[in-house]
Amino acid sequence: MKSQRFSDMVSGIFLALLGLVVVLAAIQIKGAPDVRMQPRTLPLILGWIVGVAGAALAFRAWRYRGPVRIVPWPDRVGTLRVGVTLAALIVFLLLVEPLGMPLSSSLLVGFLVWYLGGYRPIYAGLLGLATGGTIYVVFIRLLNLSFPIGPLGR
Amino acid sequence: MFFSWDYLFQGFVTALSWQNLFWAFVGCFMGTLIGVLPGIGPTSGIAILLPLTTVLNPISAIIMMAAIYYGAMYGGSTTAIVVNIPGESASVPTALDGYELAKQGRAGPALGIAAISSFVAGTLSLLGLTFFAPALASVALAFGPPEYFALMFMGLSLVISLSQRALLKGVISMALGLLAATIGQDPLTGDVRLTFGSEELIAGVNFISVIIGLFAIGEVLVNVERAITHIYEHKKLEWMPKWSDIKQCAGSMIRSSFIGFFLGLLPGCSPSVTTFVAYDVEKRVSKHPERFGKGAMEGVAGPEGANNATVSGCFVPLFAFGLPTGPAMAVLLGGLMMYGLQPGPMLFTQNPQFVWTVIASMYIGNVILLVLNLPLVGMWARIALLPFPVLGPLIVIFSIIGAYSVRYLLLDIWVALIFGVLGYFARKLGFPIAPMVLASVLAQMLEASFQQSLLISHGSLLIFFNRPIAVAFMVLAFVSIGRGLWAEFRDRGLEVAEEDKD
Repeated sequence: MKSQRFSDMVSGIFLALLGLVVVLAAIQIKGAPDVRMQPRTLPLILGWIVGVAGAALAFRAWRYRGPVRIVPWPDRVGTLRVGVTLAALIVFLLLVEPLGMPLSSSLLVGFLVWYLGGYRPIYAGLLGLATGGTIYVVFIRLLNLSFPIGPLGR
Repeated sequence: MFFSWDYLFQGFVTALSWQNLFWAFVGCFMGTLIGVLPGIGPTSGIAILLPLTTVLNPISAIIMMAAIYYGAMYGGSTTAIVVNIPGESASVPTALDGYELAKQGRAGPALGIAAISSFVAGTLSLLGLTFFAPALASVALAFGPPEYFALMFMGLSLVISLSQRALLKGVISMALGLLAATIGQDPLTGDVRLTFGSEELIAGVNFISVIIGLFAIGEVLVNVERAITHIYEHKKLEWMPKWSDIKQCAGSMIRSSFIGFFLGLLPGCSPSVTTFVAYDVEKRVSKHPERFGKGAMEGVAGPEGANNATVSGCFVPLFAFGLPTGPAMAVLLGGLMMYGLQPGPMLFTQNPQFVWTVIASMYIGNVILLVLNLPLVGMWARIALLPFPVLGPLIVIFSIIGAYSVRYLLLDIWVALIFGVLGYFARKLGFPIAPMVLASVLAQMLEASFQQSLLISHGSLLIFFNRPIAVAFMVLAFVSIGRGLWAEFRDRGLEVAEEDKD
């Protein structure tokens, strides 16, 4: 995946497959009786576009013989940082309903500030709490948005 | 709708009463604050604050609601420039160059230009609203579904051609954006599409989540991997635009006033479309189109001006026909009806005082916004001085809240996250992002207007080519597609989107 050529080939093939999946899924969409354009038509066309354009992209990259261009992928440390950040976001999403938005936000911000910046846990934690508190006051109390509030609700 | 100096003068007298001035100020201020909060765009901003206006008399209330609307429109561009989170789709083109400018230490000038351009275009387009509204309103009525489809088709082909050297990737990006929007129920028949058996997905993919994911979360992920300490590498920051910046953008401001106002007259032509068109025009008329996407001041002035001009344009069909041209206008219409006022031709004969006071207050609101925002520019620009490990998580959490508060569905946060990852890969692999965003915003209208056109023509596609306005848009679209294809076949290089090049 280092060179742009190889990346284009991989993403092109992936997109071609994605297009195929969409086409297969679109064929199965139920038809409606009296409309000019069936509900499946647009997804079907788009599936074809993605598939064909993906294949063309891969083909074009395969034929390419020019100077090598390197894709700026991260090193091992960088990949780990992105991975951990994404994992933290997924954990956050799983916690939103049981813990509520303010508490889970505090945890997410606290963790990320600590992990990304290497600040002392106490500072990171306080910043997290401040964020959660702001969310609680502004969005839930003041603007009355119906966020999940978890244990704080009762 | 009749114009008279008398009514306009009376309108100014009423609008300048200390009470109405006060509420216009409060509206601008709260609108800006709400606009700066990510995800809470003008529509939800007005909806949230609507109950607060019930304590006021109808005129003050509508003045305040209108002020909230354009305050929020302006506020949205602030986050787009400073931290690359376009609060609504209209601010996406602003982010393209605004954030680049901010990274070069010029967030202050960019914000200043945004404020000035908003003011100039807002005022110019108000003159249009004041003097030409009756004639213009009838033009808007000539727009049927075929014209809309042709207009949006042109918009999409223009935005793909923005990605110049990466046509295939631009097309893929657009198709993916449209595909994401088709997930869920068919807008006309209600048939479930592409949900792969998931019940949550029936609700569909909201374009706000797509925008927030692609821009904010994608950008944060790119910054996370590089372990940077600040989002701007330049240490030296400028606070205010220089006189030369303003002179450089004067043309853009005037052009975007016209584009925004005239397109804004069309029902359904929201700022999200006009800002893209304005950006594209600026890039085309510029002597240095290569600077666009790398921090061109005109790339901020154009969309920002068009944004505000569109707002004035939108008021023409609202006042003249009671036609809301977008969700925000629909909420405003709700507000008007709440006070027992039925917009439409009768409004001007029955409540001339009301209409002209609101129009006068819009001039005043534009001045208030400028006076309010120029001093605040420095404050917003300073946000970016926070270290990235603190700012990044805050951006993430507020983007998440933005995505969630549209429909209160957890699905929307998942979608934002998925598109965040997609945005990350798009940046790495050189896929342009703008076509995907615009496509996901326009998808529903595009499909619906196509369906309606075919209903009118009994299934014949010729309807797009035998109506003068529609055919003009279609020709422009095909010219731009043809030019793109020509460039594609001449050039056998690797595709890398210009705007994402390092």
